[in-house]
Amino acid sequence: MARMKFLCDSDRCIECNACVTACKNEHEVPWGINRRRVVTINDGKAGERSISMACMHCTDAPCAAVCPTSCFYTTADAIVLHDKDTCIGCGYCFYACPFGAPQYPRVGNFGTRGKMDKCTYCAGGPQADNVAAEYTQYGANRIAEGKLPICAEMCSTKALLAGDGEMIATIYRERVQKRGYGAGAWGWRTAYKETLSV
Amino acid sequence: MLIKRSEGKAAKQRLAQAYAGLSSGGLDRRAFLRQAGFAGAGLAALGTLAPSRVQASGAATGVADHSRPIQRIKNICTHCSVGCTVTAEVQNGVWVGQEPTWASPINRGTHCAKGAAVRELVHGDRRLKYPMKLVGGQWQRISWDVAYAEIAEKLMKVRAESGPDSVFWLGSAKFSNEGAYLYRKFAAFWGTNNVDHQARICHSTTVAGVANTWGYGAQTNSYNDIRNSKTMIIMGGNPAEAHPVSLQHLLSGKERNRANMIVIDPRFTRTAAHATEYVRIRPGTDIPVIWGMLHHIFANGWEDKEFIRQRVYGMDEIRAEVAKWTPAEVERVTGVPGEQLKKVAQTFATEKPATLIWCMGATQKTVGTANVRAFSILLLATGNVGADGTGANIFRGHCNVQGATDFGLDVGTLPAYYGLEEGAWRHWGRVWGVPFENLRDRFENVQMMGAPGIPTTRYFDAATLPKDQIQQRDRLKAMMVFGHGGNTVTRMPEAVKGLEAMELLVVADPHPTTFAVLSGRRDNTYLLPICTQFECDGSRTASNRSVQWGHKIVNPIFESKTDYEVMYRLAGALDAAAEKSGQAIRFQQDMFKPYEIKDGAPTAESILREINRGSLSTGYTGQSPERLKLHMEHQDKFDLVTLRGREGTPVANEFYGMPWPCWGPAEWKHPGSHILYNTNLHVKDGGGTFRPRFGTERNGVTLLAEGSWSKGSEIQDGYPEFTTAVLKRLGWYDELTAEEKAWIEGNGGTFSWATDLSFGVMRVAMGHGCVPYGNGKARAVAWNLPDPVPVHREPIYTPRLDLLAQYPTLPDRRGFRLPHLGQSVQARSNQVARDFPIILTSGRLVEYEGGGEETRSNKWLAELQQDMFVEINPGDAAERNIRDGQWVWVSGPENNARTRVKALVTERVGKGVAFMPFHFAGWFMGTDQRSKYPQGTDPIVLGESVNAVTTYGYDPVTFMQETKVTLCQIRAA
Amino acid sequence: MIARILPALALALGLGFTTPAPAQIGGPVTGIPTNPAPSGFSAEELELQKALQGGRIGGRISIPDAQAASLVQPAGRDWRAFHNVTLSWIGGIAVLGMLAIIGMFYATRGRIAIDSGRSGRTIQRFNLLERSAHWMTAGSFVVLALTGLNLTFGRWLILPIIGPDAFATITLWGKFAHNYLSFPFTLGIVLLFLLWVKDNIPNGRDVGWLKAAGGLFGHSHPPAGRFNAGQKMVFWITVIGGTLVAISGYVLIFPFWATDIAGQQLAHIVHGVISVLMIGAMLGHIYIGSVGMEGAFDAMGSGQVDLNWAKEHHSLWVEDEMKKARETIAPNAKVAGAD
Repeated sequence: MARMKFLCDSDRCIECNACVTACKNEHEVPWGINRRRVVTINDGKAGERSISMACMHCTDAPCAAVCPTSCFYTTADAIVLHDKDTCIGCGYCFYACPFGAPQYPRVGNFGTRGKMDKCTYCAGGPQADNVAAEYTQYGANRIAEGKLPICAEMCSTKALLAGDGEMIATIYRERVQKRGYGAGAWGWRTAYKETLSV
Repeated sequence: MLIKRSEGKAAKQRLAQAYAGLSSGGLDRRAFLRQAGFAGAGLAALGTLAPSRVQASGAATGVADHSRPIQRIKNICTHCSVGCTVTAEVQNGVWVGQEPTWASPINRGTHCAKGAAVRELVHGDRRLKYPMKLVGGQWQRISWDVAYAEIAEKLMKVRAESGPDSVFWLGSAKFSNEGAYLYRKFAAFWGTNNVDHQARICHSTTVAGVANTWGYGAQTNSYNDIRNSKTMIIMGGNPAEAHPVSLQHLLSGKERNRANMIVIDPRFTRTAAHATEYVRIRPGTDIPVIWGMLHHIFANGWEDKEFIRQRVYGMDEIRAEVAKWTPAEVERVTGVPGEQLKKVAQTFATEKPATLIWCMGATQKTVGTANVRAFSILLLATGNVGADGTGANIFRGHCNVQGATDFGLDVGTLPAYYGLEEGAWRHWGRVWGVPFENLRDRFENVQMMGAPGIPTTRYFDAATLPKDQIQQRDRLKAMMVFGHGGNTVTRMPEAVKGLEAMELLVVADPHPTTFAVLSGRRDNTYLLPICTQFECDGSRTASNRSVQWGHKIVNPIFESKTDYEVMYRLAGALDAAAEKSGQAIRFQQDMFKPYEIKDGAPTAESILREINRGSLSTGYTGQSPERLKLHMEHQDKFDLVTLRGREGTPVANEFYGMPWPCWGPAEWKHPGSHILYNTNLHVKDGGGTFRPRFGTERNGVTLLAEGSWSKGSEIQDGYPEFTTAVLKRLGWYDELTAEEKAWIEGNGGTFSWATDLSFGVMRVAMGHGCVPYGNGKARAVAWNLPDPVPVHREPIYTPRLDLLAQYPTLPDRRGFRLPHLGQSVQARSNQVARDFPIILTSGRLVEYEGGGEETRSNKWLAELQQDMFVEINPGDAAERNIRDGQWVWVSGPENNARTRVKALVTERVGKGVAFMPFHFAGWFMGTDQRSKYPQGTDPIVLGESVNAVTTYGYDPVTFMQETKVTLCQIRAA
Repeated sequence: MIARILPALALALGLGFTTPAPAQIGGPVTGIPTNPAPSGFSAEELELQKALQGGRIGGRISIPDAQAASLVQPAGRDWRAFHNVTLSWIGGIAVLGMLAIIGMFYATRGRIAIDSGRSGRTIQRFNLLERSAHWMTAGSFVVLALTGLNLTFGRWLILPIIGPDAFATITLWGKFAHNYLSFPFTLGIVLLFLLWVKDNIPNGRDVGWLKAAGGLFGHSHPPAGRFNAGQKMVFWITVIGGTLVAISGYVLIFPFWATDIAGQQLAHIVHGVISVLMIGAMLGHIYIGSVGMEGAFDAMGSGQVDLNWAKEHHSLWVEDEMKKARETIAPNAKVAGAD
C-alpha cells in the first residue's frame, strides 16, 4: 500500500490560499475551522517563505498517542483519521500536534470545544465511503474515488504535493536538482521522522 | 507579530452580526449544515421562487449524491485574465462540486483561492435576487417588466432633453466577448461614444503604449511561453497575488532554465519573495529606472544592434534621452544603487531570451503610457520581441478585459480597434447590415460620432463640472453600469457628488456593488440582477489572446438574467418608450436582426459569428464557435510550452484558443498567433511582423522593416499594409476570386485587408507569405504622443519637492471632452507634502478581485481577509506609536478624505511608503454603510476604500487614473 | 522523570517563543528604503535551527485565529512525552504509592482508636456551613479526580473492558462533569479558605507536633489547636493546590483566551501534576478521616465529635472551647441561680 504524505515545496508556495478555499469548498468547512492554512514566515524580509500546512498524517501521530478516548486510527494508506463519535473535544491533540492541525468548533457555553475536525486527506471518516453521513461529518471522500486531496490537486504552482511518499519525494528531488538548491520539505522531519536528502 | 486576540474577537463579533451562520461559534458542522438547510428554506419562503429555482439557488448545498450520475461542464474562471478552466460537477441543475481540469494547458488543474471558490459565486446567498429600485431611500422589489419600462422611459426622457451623450454606458471586463461586443454596439445604436469599461483603469495605457510602439495593444507572448525565458523582469506587478496560476509557469521556467527572476517594485511582494534579485524603487520612477538600465546597456554595447537596425525606428533619439540618466542621477531620483541596476541591465540584455512582465504598477500612473513605451523600448533595444521566451508579457486584470478591450468597450474606438473615423463606422455599418446614415442619425451630430467619449475615470466630473467646460451638449445625466464596481475609481468623495447629480442610475450586476450604497441617492436608482458568466454561454479572451469558450454550468439563479437577455429586452423597452414619447428612433429591430433569438435572448454563437465577420483588423475572424468548442473539448491535446495542438489530433498544429490574430474565416484553419511579431514562423503558421500603422516614412527615414520579414514571405523586405491598391501595384489583384472582386467592386472598390469583408485582400497577401497588415518597424519614437520619447515626470503628489522643477508633470490641457489639470494640481505638492509625508500606493490581494463586491460576498474568500488594512513600515509605525493590528486613520490631501483601517506593520513596504489593497468598500470615511444595502445582499466583509483617499492625476493619452502614487498621513485611531 | 518535565516546563514557560526581533530602521530618502536582497538563505536551515533549539516557527496569517500563525511547534512533542510518560508515572506513583502506604500503615498500625475510649459526650467541631463547604468541595473533588484520572488512564484501564462507544460516552459525560463541577469545587476552595484560614496559620506548636509525627507511630498525642499541623498541611494543600488546579483548569476550559499554545501546555502540565499529587494527598486525608481513625469521621459527619477524641487530638482547642463555653454559660447560670 502507498504511504500517503503531504509535501509543501516552499520555493513554489506563493500564499495564494487555493488549498484553503479548495478544501472549504470541497468539504463545506464552516468559518473558524481551518483544516488547512498558509503561514508566511519572515514576512516582508529576505528569506520570506510561505508554507501551506495542515494535518501531515504523521508517522507515530502525536494526536493519536495522547487521545484519551483513542479515537484516531490510521488507514492502510497511512492516513491518520479520527472518529467523531468517540471524540470528546478535549483539545489534547491540539497540544500535541506540532502543526496546529486539529480544529474545534466552539459549542455550548464558555469556549467549550466541540468535536475535533481536521484534514482527512480527503479520505472521509469511518462510515461507508461517500454516504451522506460521512460527508456531513467529515466531508468528501476523494480517496475512495481514486483521487487525491483537492488542496494539492488545485495548488496554483504545484507547490503542495500529495500522494505516495516515495513518489512525491522523487518529484521534489527532481525539482531541487533542476534548481540547484532546495528549501526543504517542510515538516517532514517532524512528521515522518525523516529528512529529504537530495 | 499578530493581530491581538482581543481585536480578533472584536472583528469576529462584528462579522458575526453580518453573517451569523458562517462562524463556527455555537455550531458544529452538522448544525451548520442544518442551518444552511434552513437558510435554503428561508429563500423558498420568499414566495415566488419556484422549487426548481430554490434548488438551483444552491439551497441543496454541496452534497453530491454519488449513486446518481454527475455531469461535468467546463467554463472559464471569472476572476483574473490567466483563463483557468473550471470543471463543474452538476447534478439536477445544482452545481455540487468542482474538479481540477488537468487537461487545460493554461492551469493544468490548478486554481488560486478565488478559482477554487468560484462555486460559491453561483451558490451565493448574497447575490442580488430580483430587480429593485430605490423609493425615498428604501429598496423595493420590482418586476423585470416594470424595471425595463421605467428605465427605458427615463433614458428616453434624458435623450430628449439632453441628447444621447448625456447617458454614460459603463460596460464590463466581466462580459463575455459577445456581451462586450453587444454592449458596444448598443452604445453605437444609442448614439454615443460615452461607453467604457475597466480597461480604462487597468491597462488602457498599456494598450495605447504598445499599440503605438509595434501595432497591437496586447500581451505579445503568453504565460506558458515564459517557461522559455532565461531572464524575466517583473516590474510594477505582483502576479503571485494578482495572477497566481501564472506563477506556475514563471517558477517552472525559473527552475527549468535556472532563469533570473528580477522583481522591480516599491514593495517586497509575495512575488519578490521568489525573485533571484529584488530592486526596490521609489513609487513613480519607472522611466528613470528603465533609462538607467538602458544607460548601462548602451554604454557597454549590450544592445541588439542588428535587431534595432532591421526592426526599430528612432532608437537614436532614445540614446540622447538615456544619456542624461547617469547612475548617479538614477540613484538620486529612484533610490536604486547604480551597481545593482548595472547588474540587472546586463542580465536582461545578455542572458536571453528575456521577457518583461508588467501590470498596473506601470500603467496606473500619470505617465502610464510613457512607462509602457519605455518598457517596450527596453525590449526593442535588447532584441527581446517576437521570439520564444521574450516579449512584453503584460498580465491583464479581469477574466475578459482583453476581449472587452478588443471589442471596443472604449470611448475611442469601435470593436477591434477600428477607431471612430467615418470609414470605421461604414465598416461596422456593413457588418451590422445598417446604412451609415442610420447610425449617424442616432448621434447628436456627425462630429460627436467621431469624438472620443468621456472615460470612466472622469464620469463624475462630467456630471458636475460647469456645462461650458464639457464638450458635449449637456452634462452626464444618466448612468448605466453593467458589471463594474463603484470603488475602483479615484477621488471617491467627488464621485459621490457626481452620482447624486445623476437623474438616473442603473446598476446591472450579480451584486448591488458600491454604486448602490456610496451616494445619498434616494430615488431613480435601479438594481438589475445579472447572472455570472457561469450561468451563461460565451467566449472570453485570456491575457495571452487565447479565446476560450465557457459553457453554461447552471441556469441563472434567482431572477437573474444574462447580459444578452437584458440588452435585448432593454432595447425592446426603449422602442416602446420611444413610441410613447413620440421619438422616431428604434433599437431592437436594427440591432438584433442578425442574431438567432432563443428563449427570448440572442445566442452567444450568433453574436460571435457576427464578430467573426467583422473583426478582421485583429484577426478575430477564425475563432468560430465550433472551433472554440473543439479546443475546449480537446484541451489535453496541446503542448504545455508551445501551446501547439499535437499531430494526429483534431486540433493538430493549432495554438490553444487560437490567440488572435487568427486570420481568415474559420475554414482557412489558421492556427492563431501564439507569439506576436514572430518572424521565425510563416504567417499562415502564426508568424508575424511589426505592424506599420503610422505611414511608410517620416522625415525621409523609412518606417518599414529593413532586411527582416516573416518566414516564407515573397516580399523579402518591409512592406506597407495590403489594400486593393497595393494588390494592383503588385500585380496580384487578379488573384482575387470573382466573388471577392464582386464584393469589393460592389461596395465601392477600394478596401484594405481590414475592411474587405470578402477576405480577398487578406487571402491574396497571405498566399504570398505576407502579413496582411504589412511589415514595419517598431517605433521607439511615437511622435503622435505628448512625450514622443518618454521622459520622467514626477507624480502629481510627490514628496520630492526638490525634483519638481526639473521633472514637472505636463501643463494643464484638455482631453476626452474635459479639462485635464496637470501642473496646477502638482503645485499643491509644495503645500501638502509636509502634512502628508507618506507615499500611498495600492494594489491587489489574492483573495479578492476588483471592487471586491463579488469576492467579499464569497464566504470562503471573505474568511481569509476580514479587515481592510494599510501596510506601514515598522519605522513609520514606531514614529507614530502604531502597533500591528490596531485601528488607524489614513488621510489624503484632497477633500479632507480619511479612512479607518487596520495597521499591518511590515517591512514589505519601505520607510515612507504605505500600501492599501483596493478591494474594499461599504465603509466610507469611517461610517459603516451596511444598512444601505438591500437586505441580504450586503457583502460579508466591508471596509474602507483606498480610493476614498486617492487623488487627482490622469495619463494624458488615456485618462488612466493615478492610483499608485499619492501622499497620505497615518495616525493611530 | 523530573529531567523530562523540566525542559517541558521551560519550553512551556516561553523559552521557546518565536518573537521576531524588531527591525532595524534606517530610512535614507523618503520612500527609498534598503533592499532586502535575497541571499543564499535556506528555509530548511531555519527550520533545522529552530528545531534544534526546540523553538516554535511562526509567521503571519490573515485569518484572525492567532493560533494558526504557529507553523511548527516542536514543544508538542515534549507535551506528548509529559502526558503519556511523565504524568502517568507521577500519577501512578502518587495514587498507587499512597494506596500502598495506607495499606502498609493499616496493616501495621491498624485503626487508630480513641485511647481513652468514647466519653459519650460530644462537642461541636464543625457547624453546618463548614460541613457543607467541605462536602461540596470533597464531593466535586472526587468526581473531578475520577474523571480526570479517566482522561489519563481510562484509555488503558477502562476502554479495553467496556469498548470504545461506551467509553466515549462516559468520558464525554465525564468531561462535562469535570467542566461543570469545577465551579462548586472552586467555590468550596474559597469558602474553606475563608472559614478556616485563621485556624490554619502555622505556629510554633506545629513544630512539636511534626517532631512527634503527630503521634501516628505511637500512642503519644502531641498537643494541637483546632487544627493540628497535619490538618494544616491538608488545608494548605487544598487551598494552594486547589487554587492552582482551578486556575490552570480554567485556562484549559477557556482555551486560548488568556494564553497561547505554550501557555495551554503549561496549564495542562500544572493541572495534571498538581491534581495527581492532590489526589494522593487526599487519599491519605480520606483514609485518616474515615477508616483510619476512630471518631474522626464524626467531625464532618454530624459535626459532633466525642470529647475524648477531641481531647486526645486537639487538646488546646478543647481547652479553648471549654473556656469559651464557661464564659458564655457562667452568666446564664448566675441568672438562673438568682431565680
